Amino acid sequence: MKIYIQAAAHISNQEPYSDKWFDTPIVYNQRYIRSIEPDYTEFIAPTQARRMGKILKRALATALKTIQETGVENPEAIITGTGLGCIENTEKFLTAMIHNDEKFLPPTFFMQSTHNTISSLIAVHLKCHGYNSTYSHRGTSFDSALLDAFVQFQLGEIETAMVNGHDELTPDYFNMLEKIDYWKQGEVNETILRKADSQGSFAGECSISLMLGNTLSEKTLCQFRDIEMFYKPDEQQFGKILERFLNRNQLEMNDIDAVVVGINGDKENDEIYQNFGETFFDKNPLIWYKHIFGESYTVSGIGVYVAATILQRKTIPKHLLYKAGTKTEQIRNILVYNHFQNKDHSLILLSAC
Amino acid sequence: MTNQILITGMGIVTGLGIGKQETLNALRQKRSAVGKLKYLQTIHDEFPTAEVPLSNNDMYRLLQIDENEVYPRTALLGRIALKEALEEAQINEKRPKRIAFISGTTVGGMDKSEQYYIDFLTNDTKNTYIEAHDCGATTDLIAKQYNGKFDVMTTISTACSSAANAIILGANLIKTGRVDAAVVGGSESLSKFHFNGFNTLMILDKEPCRPFDETRSGLNLGEGAAFVVIESEQSAKKRNVMPLCELTGYANTCDAFHQTATSPEGEGAYLAMKKALIKSNLEAKDIDYINAHGTGTPNNDETEGAAIMRVFNENIPPISSIKAFTGHTTSAAGSVESVISILSIQYNFIPVNLNFSRKMESVSFTPATEMKTEKELKHVLTNSFGFGGNDSACIFSKIESR
Repeated sequence: MKIYIQAAAHISNQEPYSDKWFDTPIVYNQRYIRSIEPDYTEFIAPTQARRMGKILKRALATALKTIQETGVENPEAIITGTGLGCIENTEKFLTAMIHNDEKFLPPTFFMQSTHNTISSLIAVHLKCHGYNSTYSHRGTSFDSALLDAFVQFQLGEIETAMVNGHDELTPDYFNMLEKIDYWKQGEVNETILRKADSQGSFAGECSISLMLGNTLSEKTLCQFRDIEMFYKPDEQQFGKILERFLNRNQLEMNDIDAVVVGINGDKENDEIYQNFGETFFDKNPLIWYKHIFGESYTVSGIGVYVAATILQRKTIPKHLLYKAGTKTEQIRNILVYNHFQNKDHSLILLSAC
Repeated sequence: MTNQILITGMGIVTGLGIGKQETLNALRQKRSAVGKLKYLQTIHDEFPTAEVPLSNNDMYRLLQIDENEVYPRTALLGRIALKEALEEAQINEKRPKRIAFISGTTVGGMDKSEQYYIDFLTNDTKNTYIEAHDCGATTDLIAKQYNGKFDVMTTISTACSSAANAIILGANLIKTGRVDAAVVGGSESLSKFHFNGFNTLMILDKEPCRPFDETRSGLNLGEGAAFVVIESEQSAKKRNVMPLCELTGYANTCDAFHQTATSPEGEGAYLAMKKALIKSNLEAKDIDYINAHGTGTPNNDETEGAAIMRVFNENIPPISSIKAFTGHTTSAAGSVESVISILSIQYNFIPVNLNFSRKMESVSFTPATEMKTEKELKHVLTNSFGFGGNDSACIFSKIESR
């Protein structure tokens, strides 16, 4: 059984739906960048769009884009990861409730506040009666959605799946996370993020939709070979998990042509990647992406998309190279390694078709 | 790969009390937990609700948590249920090789966020609660005292079917050999946020709820948490633990109709039950009891009833909703009602459908009002439906019944 990433669509701080970021990324110096909104009329009627919050518009548009790309109109599973869900509508309902003393509340914001609104909106739009689920597990929300899809492919339950990662970041939530040191102070640039001598990263928003399927087409980005999630590993445990993971795919670290990591400029976050990296993948090139796309709970989905694009284009652009490796062969296999607060970790293996 | 998924432990807390025994006692004594609000501060206290009869302080003491630690109510409830489930499955003494923890919630830390939201934005006195707001943070807190015990953790948020979907993911992880066991379920406390939300949808009843009754006019909210330990047959044998029953079928489907209403023919519900039956290799006539979602809203019971009639035709077994006992425990409902379904198999009784008086005109059946069973309960189907048309069903079977 083989699983492929057949298409990917994103709305982020880079040009929507496009992979221009691969050659000429937009570079920001501010520490809070919201997504570039596309013209939604291509996919959503204006009357419908007016009733939808930002995250829902982005979710529906990216979903429909992957459908347009693949022709898969009825995915057998729709699975979304979201760290905060529809936080804009949640805040609207919450502030109205507080300010109006629980009176005269309109139902719409509540109806569109639950995390599963995203997956269900897509299902309602597509009339998809298949498997439908939502994960909200901090920085591994997207990874969880991907794991769910993977095991269903393995069990032969599905042959296609749409896996999404969506997070919007409102100014209020940015400010709240600011108070608990999620963001850097002042200007942010690549040099500061590389240095990683202080807490915090820079804030982005993430909308990514991947279409997975077990058939290969001309447009297919790459093969999705395996995923593993694990909790708070020490160095020895990490080594064992990595070895077992590679072994079961008949690979060793030497076969891995690049490791995509979630380095984001936060001291504690990056130390984990640095330490494990020095011990276990010192010779492999390290690729980062959060310095371009910013940090958000589901940005690991962008990490997978970045890796898939590299495998399709068969080259690593210089601006994504965090550290060059000693090997410069062709790009066949990429390992995407993600962790959140050194609690939840994931390994995702992608290979060229 | 393994085929048999066994249940080797479970834990529960709802308005009915702490633990399986108190739950069982209340069900057998037909004692509802629905009553007047005591702990949640809301102006809408005219709605009957089923609160867990413990304040947050009570739970801090019960769990011996330091008062300076930050625990939303959902995490406190989750810890109580998790402790009981792990004890029954003897996880602490005899650890399975690899074990997952999968919890469902939607409220997460909202009970604190709604209290301190203004503080979050205007001063720095309540910042420690910010990190506890999201759903995943709740799962972290529930599992915190077992630091490192779980090999993998995640959180599902599909509104009122969250806990059922946690069971499904856990089963799939076991079937693919990724883990040997999984602790699965959900936790949800009341919050002013969703209390008001449900109120704006005009689906709360000012009287005790009456599932599958012609006079039903809405649901009563409840709160609680429940976890079940599911495990491969090999792992249970190796650990020498006694299985309580088997998870034979499950399915997750989508109604794909509307954000907060269900399709008239109950397509999602129909497909969930149908697919769960197929997975279990059982026929409709093999099901001995349906533990319905049965919220008591006109919409849910009408469409769930229609879907049940489509699946079961003339073989409709006894049906009841326990929502009039526990209230609607939202994200925890799937596991709360799974635990109750398993209890019904273990003790061979039907948890009755309280407050029933008048048959619904649109359905052919009346809900069960007698605990006595005509035949031994071997296979029980439990439904769990959520906003957004997230419909799931699970089938639990008595061991050696297949």
